[in-house]
Amino acid sequence: MLSLLSTLVALPFLFLIPCLFITSYICFPVFLTKLLGLIKFKAARDDDDNEKRDEATCVVREEELQRELMPRHVSFILDGNRRWAKRDGLTTAQGHEAGTKRIIEIAEVCFELGIHTVSAFAFSTENWGRDKFEVKCLMSLFNHYLKSNIQYFQRKEVRVSVIGNKTKIPESLLKEIHEIEEATKGYKNKHLIMAVDYSGKFDIMHACKSLVKKSEKGLIREEDVDEALIERELLTNCSDFPSPDLMIRTSGEQRISNFFLWQLAYTELFYSPVLWPDFDKDKLLEALASYQSRERRFGCRV
Amino acid sequence: FEAIESYAITLGLNKKYGSIDLEKLRCLAVVVDIEAAQDVANVVELLQWLTTIGVKQVGLFDSQGLLKKSKDLILETVPGSMLLEEIEKDVTPDGKRIALEFISSSDNKEAVMKAANILLQRYLKSSHPEDDKGEDFFTESHLNDALRVVGENVHVPDLLLVYGPIRSHLGFPAWRLRYTEIVHMGTLKYMRYGSLLKAIHKFTGVHQNYGT
Repeated sequence: MLSLLSTLVALPFLFLIPCLFITSYICFPVFLTKLLGLIKFKAARDDDDNEKRDEATCVVREEELQRELMPRHVSFILDGNRRWAKRDGLTTAQGHEAGTKRIIEIAEVCFELGIHTVSAFAFSTENWGRDKFEVKCLMSLFNHYLKSNIQYFQRKEVRVSVIGNKTKIPESLLKEIHEIEEATKGYKNKHLIMAVDYSGKFDIMHACKSLVKKSEKGLIREEDVDEALIERELLTNCSDFPSPDLMIRTSGEQRISNFFLWQLAYTELFYSPVLWPDFDKDKLLEALASYQSRERRFGCRV
Repeated sequence: FEAIESYAITLGLNKKYGSIDLEKLRCLAVVVDIEAAQDVANVVELLQWLTTIGVKQVGLFDSQGLLKKSKDLILETVPGSMLLEEIEKDVTPDGKRIALEFISSSDNKEAVMKAANILLQRYLKSSHPEDDKGEDFFTESHLNDALRVVGENVHVPDLLLVYGPIRSHLGFPAWRLRYTEIVHMGTLKYMRYGSLLKAIHKFTGVHQNYGT
């Protein structure tokens, strides 16, 4: 469609330019010279196709995706629960409940598609600044869903890890976290990582502090500290694939918001305009199709 | 439609983009992929557009440091441009200048690693109790200070524009990206002034809750 429009726009100029050279009687409006310099319709079409995928305007079927090009680790910033609830006339608590259910549904779809690791930014350190009732509700939801899904994760052989600061997390939730991590630690093929009370800056600082302890025990020398060593001390060291290949943020916001700062260096960032509780399998397939169409170079020359 | 809209904005046909309030945009960063970084002409044109729009500070990043190597050429070619560190030392600020910063991957993880080493050395040299967990030596502000010692800028860009085929920031200094708005602009070779103006205008309307 766009190539047709671009062609229609270009055609008059293809006629006018020769005429300008043939006769001096044609008046060539000044602004058209600017327009000529800006017509790059083929490239514009290519770039626009890429942008359309972000706006979720195309429907992708599962068969269109290539299994061998699936990302190994997909990360989610689950944004939009409160706006979803407000839009539908529900309470914030109901919005968060719908969002929490969605994490497990989407994770299941990811594993079925052959993705090894799914991580979700469930609660950030900054979220402690929210209304106390909302925070309490969120902690209860996490508690409930972890407790009621232990058998589900065992049946599906999904390893569950919860990463974050954890110092402010209620005891009851800490107990559930410990239980589910223990119950699922033996599973190797599917890994769900929930980031709760997580901050990317805290993660990096925590890694630095871990190096202090190791240095004091004589396990490392000062000169041993390098990027790889820091990376091994990050909270994502529980994962076989600590750096996400694809990061999806919902609700249209285009920020990392202090999530996986170190880990996201070469991650494909996909911004979906839908609110998190509305993010379903179709939206996930669109994001994966967009990912598979990219040529990632990890900062190297090709 | 995107292309047509961009052309309309460029031609000044859309009054919404006639004037942009840049108060929120104190620092803009631009990420270019390696192929784009090899062609400095496009980068220079982009900087000239940004100067026209009124942006005062731009951080230019490419993972391999190719733009760092072309620093002198860029500074000579972009009118009113100066290195950020020189503008910061300048006691007679000139509103028409654009401050440029040249960044590469060595300013990312390698810099954090060097800063972590500085903190580790400070901690080990200090007299501290045996059970001390390093809380007084390893905070975000300590790492900020250590990064400055290493020669890094810790200013947080408000907006990061990514030019390249991939929607990734390609290793831009992670420590600085906490709340930065990240917008993918497509390839630099086919950049459009209208799209640039639209992205900056859209940013000025963004509201952040910062997690609360």
